[in-house]
Amino acid sequence: MSVKIEDLTVTFRNGVTAVNHVNLNITNGIYGLLGENGAGKTTLMRVLTTVLKPASGKVSLDGILYQEGNYEKIQRKIGYLPQEIDLYSSLTVRECLEYMGDLSGIDKEICRKRIDYYLEKTSLAAHQKKKMKQLSGGMKRRAGLVQALLNEPDFLIIDEPTTGLDPEERIHIRNLLVDFSENRTVLFSTHVVEDLATTCSRLAVMKKGSFLYAGSVRELIEKANGHTWLCSVADERQVRELEKQYPITSKQYLDGTLQVKLLSESKPPIGCTQTSTSLEDAYIYLMNQNQ
Amino acid sequence: MAKEIKISLPLYKIGYAVFFVVILSLIRGVTATYEIGIALETPMALLAAAFCADTYTQEIASKRSEIHRLYPIKKRKRSLISRMFVQEIFLFLLTAAGYGLFFAFQKPMGYTAGETEQYFVFLFAAAATLLFWGMLSNTLAMLFRNMWFGIGGSLILWLITNSTLGEHLFGPWNLFSYTFRNVENGDLTWMRGKIISICFSILMIGILPNIIKKRG
Repeated sequence: MSVKIEDLTVTFRNGVTAVNHVNLNITNGIYGLLGENGAGKTTLMRVLTTVLKPASGKVSLDGILYQEGNYEKIQRKIGYLPQEIDLYSSLTVRECLEYMGDLSGIDKEICRKRIDYYLEKTSLAAHQKKKMKQLSGGMKRRAGLVQALLNEPDFLIIDEPTTGLDPEERIHIRNLLVDFSENRTVLFSTHVVEDLATTCSRLAVMKKGSFLYAGSVRELIEKANGHTWLCSVADERQVRELEKQYPITSKQYLDGTLQVKLLSESKPPIGCTQTSTSLEDAYIYLMNQNQ
Repeated sequence: MAKEIKISLPLYKIGYAVFFVVILSLIRGVTATYEIGIALETPMALLAAAFCADTYTQEIASKRSEIHRLYPIKKRKRSLISRMFVQEIFLFLLTAAGYGLFFAFQKPMGYTAGETEQYFVFLFAAAATLLFWGMLSNTLAMLFRNMWFGIGGSLILWLITNSTLGEHLFGPWNLFSYTFRNVENGDLTWMRGKIISICFSILMIGILPNIIKKRG
């Protein structure tokens, strides 16, 4: 399974270009999509689900070109969890999934088995008889994810799947996605950098409709390696001074001293030591380089 | 079908529809039994338009339409028709019960042996009316991806056809021909208007897959 995006541009009716001449190759496994709000991630995902038509450029899924005549063929291969979705509030979780499974054309018996399996995997089995409107935000999100997985798509597109989940559930979902991505392609958009750090090997970073980076997670971290510093500071006033000069990625009191993690090309002129770079640090480093 | 019933007939919709019919049967005066059908037809058309406008647009408002786009058109069409069917049956039963409420509250005169026949004739007219206005509202709402266009567009046509202008323009071919003809005298020319309603409804059902594909 591979997705190829060539020189893709999406322009809205009001003239705003949400995606600007982007190129990307997505192969098997989980591919992360990271970027600030309004960067164009959701727009790109909506093109890939055939909801939006691009102004120019080419997109293909396993060699099948995104064009009117091929949409049905492409749509059968896709599972999608939009950023915001309100599932049928008057149905129970199971009824809702059965209904959506039936609509996607899955055989009833197979659908029933898959619902059982994914409800168990997402810890929703105990809540399957509850109406959708009775679920918490995190549970609704999980039910949304199950509907996207039901037809066992070759290409799964998920927009912020872990929003509202507690840490334990987040880990369950991440593990489920890793298992699911074997021999399949998953495009995973999120603001939670940790989710990508623990699930993907490749990612793209978007800003204002373009890719700032597309490649391996390791290489992105390597870019910022040697530029991450851990500094002990005297007080908040000194932190504010540092903030004016460097991007600060974390700040915490440790054993009575205030420690900040900042990004700098050279060693800052205060007591700092080099420290390991996380994906979050690397992301901030990249965003600041391209300001 | 059970799921479609739950989706299409939430409690609030049942509540406002029943309330509408009860209030109508209380405040709309009729003196003779043949007036009941006339009193019910046009308000029920308006209710059908409001009732069915969100048949599909609820999918747009909830963003589920983005997932629906991935489903086969045939399945989506079947689901939509099932929802329309559920709503139309509900409205039809409500109309049939509403006729009885007029008897209970208004105590009209002129009860004759032909009442049953008159009742069934009205039910036929009501079925065609409900089908047309429900379909029209849903079709317009789907075309403009907004339920208010469905209700608003239907209301404009309702105002035109439920007026002397409509009667003057269309005569027995008017969508509300039943209301404007002398049904108590055995005039059956109103059937033309109902045949027009049924034909347009079939046409709207026919173009449904295209609308789903283009605007769904």
